[in-house]
Amino acid sequence: MKKDNNTLTRRDFFKAGTILAGGVTVTAALAPYDGLLFAAEAPNAKGIWYGIGIDINKCIGCGKCANACKEENNVPKAPFYFRSWVEQYTIKNDGTIVVESPNGGIDGFKQTVPDKDIFKSFFVPKMCNHCAKSPCTQVCPVGATFETEEGIVLVDENYCIGCRYCVQACPYGCRYIHPEKGTVDKCTLCFHRLKKGLKPACFEMCPTEARIFGDLNDPGSKINYFLKNHTCMVIKPNLNTGSKLFYNALSSEVR
Amino acid sequence: MPQQIKRLIIAFAVFLLLFLVLRQVLRPDSFGELGHFRAKAIPENMKREMHYTIADSCTKCHKEIRAEKDKGLHSRLKCEVCHGPGLNHATYAGQFKKGELPDSLKLYKPVERKDCAICHQLNAARIKIQFDTINTTMVHQIDPLKHNPGDTDTKEVFKCIDCHNPHQP
Repeated sequence: MKKDNNTLTRRDFFKAGTILAGGVTVTAALAPYDGLLFAAEAPNAKGIWYGIGIDINKCIGCGKCANACKEENNVPKAPFYFRSWVEQYTIKNDGTIVVESPNGGIDGFKQTVPDKDIFKSFFVPKMCNHCAKSPCTQVCPVGATFETEEGIVLVDENYCIGCRYCVQACPYGCRYIHPEKGTVDKCTLCFHRLKKGLKPACFEMCPTEARIFGDLNDPGSKINYFLKNHTCMVIKPNLNTGSKLFYNALSSEVR
Repeated sequence: MPQQIKRLIIAFAVFLLLFLVLRQVLRPDSFGELGHFRAKAIPENMKREMHYTIADSCTKCHKEIRAEKDKGLHSRLKCEVCHGPGLNHATYAGQFKKGELPDSLKLYKPVERKDCAICHQLNAARIKIQFDTINTTMVHQIDPLKHNPGDTDTKEVFKCIDCHNPHQP
């Protein structure tokens, strides 16, 4: 006996088709708002949630933070491995932007643009933004980089395969491949010091106290005081990385 | 049930079993306990070695320098800002008599002009500094080429510390 498989009626076909098409349209229409929802959402509401503040007006570009970071974390001394570094932005009168960072600022800065050509000039200390929605952790194929409950992005050195995906994914250029270990290395916000109740090395060594860090969930913390009292901005807000590194007096030229 | 379906089910079951066994063998210890990563990586990150001391270690021995520094403009600078990381020095230097300290425990003494210039060299980006509590409007800046550059005849170069006491500038 031959069984008739062709039982789908025209009505059923259109019903299923409409549901499918409608579902796809609704999902596609809502997708752009994912980001908005994320941006409006409060951060991790319980426990410590670290945030960093840097006051560009106070930074004198001494590079002590970059040096302290290298000393504390055994970062190779060669001038292209940095967890934390300082850049000098000089905006000329004709509008061109000059960005310099000789050895990350460790040996000090020499002003290369003559005074008469300068419209404004400032230092921008850079480090890992410890994003709440890190692009770097999302691309790791083996799960060797992750965000802790406190909002710190860490690397699992013993599990990293050195594939460099995360180095490419970080929009702030905050990762590098350690030449000896062959694994990726990045700022840990001096996790080993934090857990002993100490400040990270770069914060400890800043002579002008341009760097502040603290618990974003604690209304009385230094970082919240800083955020309330200054007009703060993150770098590349359009990327919606959930960056937790807030700069006071950040110019739009900074990338 | 047709025979080919049975065979397929057996094949799938074998693959599934193989997958589960392999996953158990290959998956690292503590993976997935807190998320898509090894939970043990967190204590591993905590165990790193420190190089910078904790806040008041220097004052225990160098009280007089601290007292001197507290009166000057550098009062808010930490010792290690200029002298470099000193945890080893703070931990072990107490065991040695004065003058017998091995070189490995000695800290950096910034005496050259370039050491001071790191903060005090004239730079257009440096002029606007305003401190919250210290009664000064900016970090003092000099042009190292013009500010007492040295004797042109004898080629003698003055050091900053010849005139300024770095602990009380």
